[in-house]
Amino acid sequence: MEPALGDGNPVPQGPSFSWAWMIAFLSKRLLLAIPTLLVASFLIFSLVHIAPGDPIQVMLGDFQDPELIARLRHEMGLDLPLFQQYLHWLGNIVRGDLGISITVQRGASVTDLILQRFAVTVELALLSLTIALLIAIPTGIVSALRQNKLSDHISRIIALLGVSIPNFFLGILLILFVGVYLRKPWGAGGYVPLSRGLLKNLAHMFLPAVALGTAYAAIIMRMMRSAMLDTMSRDFVRTARAMGIAPGDIVRRDIVKNALIPVVTVIGNSIGYLLGGSIVTETVFRLPGVGNLVIMGVFRRDFPVIQAVVLIIVVVRIVINLVVDLTYGFLDPRIRYGGER
Amino acid sequence: MAREIQSGEYELGTHRTLLQEFWRNFRRNKLSLVGGVIVLFYAFLAVFAPLLAPYDPIEQFDAPRGMRNPMPPLSRDEDGRLFLLGTDKFGRDILSRAIYGTRTLLQVAVGSISIAMLIGVTMGAVAGYRAGTWVDELLMRAVDIMLSFPSLVLAIALVGAFGIGKIQVGPFTVSNIVKIMLVIAVTYSPRFARVMRAVVLQEMAKDYVAAARISGASGARILLTEILPNTIPPIIVQASLMMATTVLTTSSLSFLGLGLQPPRPSLGLMLNEARDYLFWGAWWYAVVPGGLITLAILGFNLLGDGLRDALDPRQARRRR
Amino acid sequence: MSGLLRVEGLVTRFYTEEGVVKAVDGNSFHLEENEALGVVGESGSGKTVTALSIMRLIEAPGRIEAGRILFRGEDLLTKPEREMRRIRGRDLSMVFQDSLSSLNPTLTVGAQIARVLKHHTRLSSRARRRRAVELLAAVGIPEPEKRASHYPHQLSGGMRQRALIAMAISCNPKLLILDEPTTALDVTIEAQIFELIGKLKGEFGMGVFLITHDLSVVASFCRRVIIMYAGKIVEEAPVGDLYANPLHPYTLGLLRSIPPLDGEAERLESIPGEVPDLINLPPGCNFSPRCHLADERCWQREPELLEASPGHRVACWKAGKGGKGG
Repeated sequence: MEPALGDGNPVPQGPSFSWAWMIAFLSKRLLLAIPTLLVASFLIFSLVHIAPGDPIQVMLGDFQDPELIARLRHEMGLDLPLFQQYLHWLGNIVRGDLGISITVQRGASVTDLILQRFAVTVELALLSLTIALLIAIPTGIVSALRQNKLSDHISRIIALLGVSIPNFFLGILLILFVGVYLRKPWGAGGYVPLSRGLLKNLAHMFLPAVALGTAYAAIIMRMMRSAMLDTMSRDFVRTARAMGIAPGDIVRRDIVKNALIPVVTVIGNSIGYLLGGSIVTETVFRLPGVGNLVIMGVFRRDFPVIQAVVLIIVVVRIVINLVVDLTYGFLDPRIRYGGER
Repeated sequence: MAREIQSGEYELGTHRTLLQEFWRNFRRNKLSLVGGVIVLFYAFLAVFAPLLAPYDPIEQFDAPRGMRNPMPPLSRDEDGRLFLLGTDKFGRDILSRAIYGTRTLLQVAVGSISIAMLIGVTMGAVAGYRAGTWVDELLMRAVDIMLSFPSLVLAIALVGAFGIGKIQVGPFTVSNIVKIMLVIAVTYSPRFARVMRAVVLQEMAKDYVAAARISGASGARILLTEILPNTIPPIIVQASLMMATTVLTTSSLSFLGLGLQPPRPSLGLMLNEARDYLFWGAWWYAVVPGGLITLAILGFNLLGDGLRDALDPRQARRRR
Repeated sequence: MSGLLRVEGLVTRFYTEEGVVKAVDGNSFHLEENEALGVVGESGSGKTVTALSIMRLIEAPGRIEAGRILFRGEDLLTKPEREMRRIRGRDLSMVFQDSLSSLNPTLTVGAQIARVLKHHTRLSSRARRRRAVELLAAVGIPEPEKRASHYPHQLSGGMRQRALIAMAISCNPKLLILDEPTTALDVTIEAQIFELIGKLKGEFGMGVFLITHDLSVVASFCRRVIIMYAGKIVEEAPVGDLYANPLHPYTLGLLRSIPPLDGEAERLESIPGEVPDLINLPPGCNFSPRCHLADERCWQREPELLEASPGHRVACWKAGKGGKGG
């Protein structure tokens, strides 16, 4: 059985999900992602070199000890030709070594620094994503079904404000309201590790996740609504009505199912916002995450830290896009089985 | 049939100029008018900042006996100076700082969008005009790769590379504000390149280009005189939509402390400072700059949506 | 005798931002059991709106303003939506023109047919599935078992149209509305589809309401034909009568614009001018701006639809004065 991948392959045999399709699809996408990743990693690597001045001197600032400079230069492989440096750097990364921090925490392994903070950022991002999707998709559906009714207008206005309010301002407003005005200890920012209880941890993560997820939710809600309206005027919906199909069934199997296809694209495309936004949100709520680390890195000009975090964000983004593509294939048989698109 | 009615044949016989048509469509959507008014308000604030601000934005005033800075709205100092929206931690007038901060924010946003447009439009025009060649392939690959960075992350990385504050390139000094503009411009130029390429491709498929070609016009001439004028409307729409994003990115950078540096008044930075005074109850310290940023983004979003819908009413009808 | 379908004084309008579109303007006609009635007109003449009105599928900003639609003696316009849902797809069914856009791209063809059965029958899910395959076989789709599990985009245009027909006839409707069912298909497939519909009509004893802009299709398939122009019926006649003795200048124009089946094609004529703006209809006869016979009266007063000979109605002051053929 030969799965079709949108390049005019023979008509496949059955409609059900097949592992063969998934594996072929995944490997094709992975192959496409690799060159992007390589070039992106080279750009990230070159960051050190596009800046004017000698990177070591730049990093150390006023603290200029010739012996230290020479050691660091060797440590970072800066005495090698540029391309060799890159290969060296890449090779280390592939082995899980992201380099040594220079100024954030002198001598610490960047891999360790990131691992210490990774869970916070992942939790924040996943929680925001969950909250955003749980709110946005149903609201978008209801809003479209009740187009131009009061509830539609209200959710559209909230969505408009949601895309316009910067997450750092929303975060501060939430702290003002929950932490200062309501005097809730969990509304004041700060981080409680999971080891001190899931509920406490979640409580402290809740406001940051709301602050970060709001704009994302608003974008998805608007897209869901307009995709629903678009789908509702499609011919096959009229066909279903002409066949006497019940409205609930039409909403579920005709409208929502087809409207989700473009929405998934937007969910994937906007994930970059979530990744960039988490850096800001961590600052607002004083969360010790990866974003916090990269900001420290920028302030103290710790190039290995900056490079590592940016690379990880780009990798995560590419992986997420892969997952989105896969979801797309699940939702849209025209992709799963090729043919016209 | 309802479909057919929308599809053009009944719109025959209504001859208006494109501009009139555009204005009619734009005006119909009340929200885009609101957006236009908000944007005009900001332009007014930015242009007349020196006249509107009651005090010098970096002048520090002492709190009267029994009070401390930051002072709440409507406070006065010993000399009876009124601080309409209160003061900040150094006793500077929030209103004046907010007005000047708005001015700087718009300067950076307009500046970086203009540069981004210049870079992006050039890239997109060349790629579109040379569509299918290696030039196009190379440019579009570059665009793809730049877009694989989340924009704020790319901006942070670039600031990380160049450092905070002004930079020295050989004998030249690039001021901090210009550097920020360049960083943001680089971040957003790929989006303009994509739009531009698509529009150029679309235009090139039209008859008038073929006609110009047959009449023996040179490639560059066709591009400059025939195609470019038609790409202006979609690029303007893109620019106004991107203004909202740019305002967000600029103020995010400043909020993180990576953008505009003190003592220069900056809305993002004010919010950053305000964080330390939230539990003093100094809400005005955060709400004034935050509100101004939010309203600006809202205005540009509404205006951009309105412009887009007015240029493409058929698409808009489906969206509504 | 009330017949299968009797439409009386149907008025359907669309309230758009530009103005009120008089899409269907006071039409009456009827259709007998097991009869095939053709409706011919250019796009914008109100054919599809008429069909959607019968189905009660007119959506905002459209509204059925007046009239009665008697289907087997009962007025559909007075029925609650719940009851209409039971009638649609079961007694009254419709096949739309573009088969690709008219089928849900994310459901298999079999599932889409089975779904109709689910809403109108008490068959088990297995039985529905089996019946779906049978229906696909009945409309002449080869390997129906396999095709049932295919998605619309995996089928050819002709097969999709057959699948759409299978869906429409799945509950043995009494009346089948076909809205230009073959526009997207080539001539050979078109002939096959009409052969199929003819066969099914015989088997199931359905009335067929065929919308088309092509008079030659009507000639081979229908007993009677209605000509519509700008929302109004301008002529109604048995097919033979219409061909032999067209009375309305518009009908004449239409007949001249189809290539003759025999002999050399003379120069084909198209009717000069355009379909009028349904928001700003001309006073008097809607066709007068395009009519070479029009005079004062045509511009001022609207002609009524009157019987010229038994079964042959026409709405024209100049009926029959356009000359024949030449």
